[in-house]
Amino acid sequence: MSFGLASPLALFLLPLALAPLLFSPLRLSPISSVSAAPQDALSTLVAWALRLLASLAIGASTLAVAGPFREGRAIQRYGEGAEISILIDRSASMNETFAGRTPAGGEESKASAAKRFMTDFVDRRAHDLFGVTAFSTSPIMVMPMTNHRAAVRAAIQAIDRPGLGYTNIGRGLAMALSQFPAGGEIESRVILLVSDGAAVIDPRIQDQLRADFRKIRPNLYWLFLRTSGAKGISDQPDAGELDTPQALPERHLDLFFKSLGIGYRAFEAEGPAAVADAIAEIDRLERRPFRYVERIPRKDLTDHSLIVAAFATSVLVVAKFAETRLKQTARAGASPQFAKRAA
Amino acid sequence: MIARLRDARFLSLAFALAMLVAAFAFPRAEVVRNGADVLATLDITGSMNTRDYSLDGAPASRIEFAKQALRRLVADLPCPSRVGLAIFTEREPFLLFEPIDVCENFAALDAAIGTLDWRMAWEGDSRISAGLFRAVEMARRTGADLLFITDGQEAPPLPAYGAPVFDGQRGEISGLILGAGGYEPAPIPKFDDRGRETGFFGVDEVPHESRFGLPPPDAEQREGYNPRNAPFGGEMRAGTEHLSSVREPYLRQLAETTGLGYAHLEKPDGLASALLAVARPRPSLAPFDLRPAFAAAALVGFASLYLIVPLAEIFTRRRHSRLATTRSRRIE
Repeated sequence: MSFGLASPLALFLLPLALAPLLFSPLRLSPISSVSAAPQDALSTLVAWALRLLASLAIGASTLAVAGPFREGRAIQRYGEGAEISILIDRSASMNETFAGRTPAGGEESKASAAKRFMTDFVDRRAHDLFGVTAFSTSPIMVMPMTNHRAAVRAAIQAIDRPGLGYTNIGRGLAMALSQFPAGGEIESRVILLVSDGAAVIDPRIQDQLRADFRKIRPNLYWLFLRTSGAKGISDQPDAGELDTPQALPERHLDLFFKSLGIGYRAFEAEGPAAVADAIAEIDRLERRPFRYVERIPRKDLTDHSLIVAAFATSVLVVAKFAETRLKQTARAGASPQFAKRAA
Repeated sequence: MIARLRDARFLSLAFALAMLVAAFAFPRAEVVRNGADVLATLDITGSMNTRDYSLDGAPASRIEFAKQALRRLVADLPCPSRVGLAIFTEREPFLLFEPIDVCENFAALDAAIGTLDWRMAWEGDSRISAGLFRAVEMARRTGADLLFITDGQEAPPLPAYGAPVFDGQRGEISGLILGAGGYEPAPIPKFDDRGRETGFFGVDEVPHESRFGLPPPDAEQREGYNPRNAPFGGEMRAGTEHLSSVREPYLRQLAETTGLGYAHLEKPDGLASALLAVARPRPSLAPFDLRPAFAAAALVGFASLYLIVPLAEIFTRRRHSRLATTRSRRIE
């Protein structure tokens, strides 16, 4: 636990706390010498207590000016959650509807549907870390892995903007994998791929991807937003059709994912409702114990020092009220208050 | 009681206590603070890789330098400010994320700016004016001001009939065009398709003239000119498009067209004040901590109690005694 000050320069006022040792807060009296009063232990004690209280009041006030705080810190907690790397297709076709048309009237594009349900998903997962990667012709790092929910939400809000270019899924996957911090324990790691099509992955990149997947071991979910009439994941080649990645990219991407030896599931959604179901299913599946870091924000301690200062000052005020005119008390004999003057 | 009220020490102490109590009663006030909403758009096209800046003594590309400036901007903006990020290549700005609060999401913003890279570019072209106009439109839709960082080098060069026409409303969006790059032409690094640097662009590797649209009026004087077969002249003209410097007059002209401000990116800091000078202020109420001020006032009370009043008394006593001695001397 460490402490800090908002404006440390205020501490230059601290020597003022020594002033009570030199001067008394009590009135001058017409007695010419302190030696006139007899020494007594109680008076000395009261005098010193008042000095110390005054020093304390000044010191605490100075500290309140400086703005003391306890540093925020990160503590590890256990809960349910995961590190989720979201990989979103931003190719131009994502802006079409599930029927493959430009959205008209109340229709919703694939990107808008994905945006709506993904925002819900992010809001529901309280402890997860999210990273967002987009891909079209090239992979684009949108938001590195973070626990700032507002930042992740802002990144997902941007996914239904006009897309660009083509679908280069291989490089996108490589960048989504790079979202996970290197080394460390293999925790609950998830890649959520949202795309409306697949593409051939360059064989050179395939090998590299295989190695990366083996190293990082994420669970992979592929949310395939299928345009009606388009080829699906489980489509077998028709008679006379070649069974190549070029002809059936979805089927071959699925086969590639299955061959990776990691937890993998594909969801084929042909409409907004199916997207919602798929996301709810992923939410249900990814409930593994997860060690996450919670940041305890810095705690302001100004009030504490103000309380100390106010308390010490009130005692001084009470002492001032106990102070009496020397002329009256002189007749009554040496009271502690009288002797206190000696301070 | 009246005697106490006449006692300067009691008054000082009472004042100090009153200030400490007031600190609990009125701990904070609301003040209006002006922040800014900014959509920062960074040009990540090839010419932005030119290394004509230096960071910590090492040569740095325009993108690296601009990233450093953006990180400083995020750190320097006053608190109710929001920053969104977009990258630009070809003719399209690509929105990475909508503006988010800089103070709450500082770490996320800083990391996101740190990962910007020319490798995110999905096309090689760099049509600055088209990109700028679309970025203005994007800023208008997100309701933010625009910060557009570019070196102003159109690739391929603009055709003879000039830049596309700005169809937005001039001055509707405020903001800043930030010219990146030095004034001296510098070679542009070249990369292969796996992202490895392979040298610099040569004079014969880039187009120096656009051959779209109508030929320029002086084409008839060119060698090998033929109205049908070679309307632009017989040979490709060699220019200096393989070298890059900040195209300041062009960017100033674009700033004039769109109603944005223009500034040259010279050092990584100071961007926040330049931007706040042109950005629309976004006033919002922010709490202002009054407690340190009250505590300081209490300290004034204590200083009066323990220093000023006792010292004043000592001085008056000395003067009195000195007066008394001189008077007694006179009597003698």
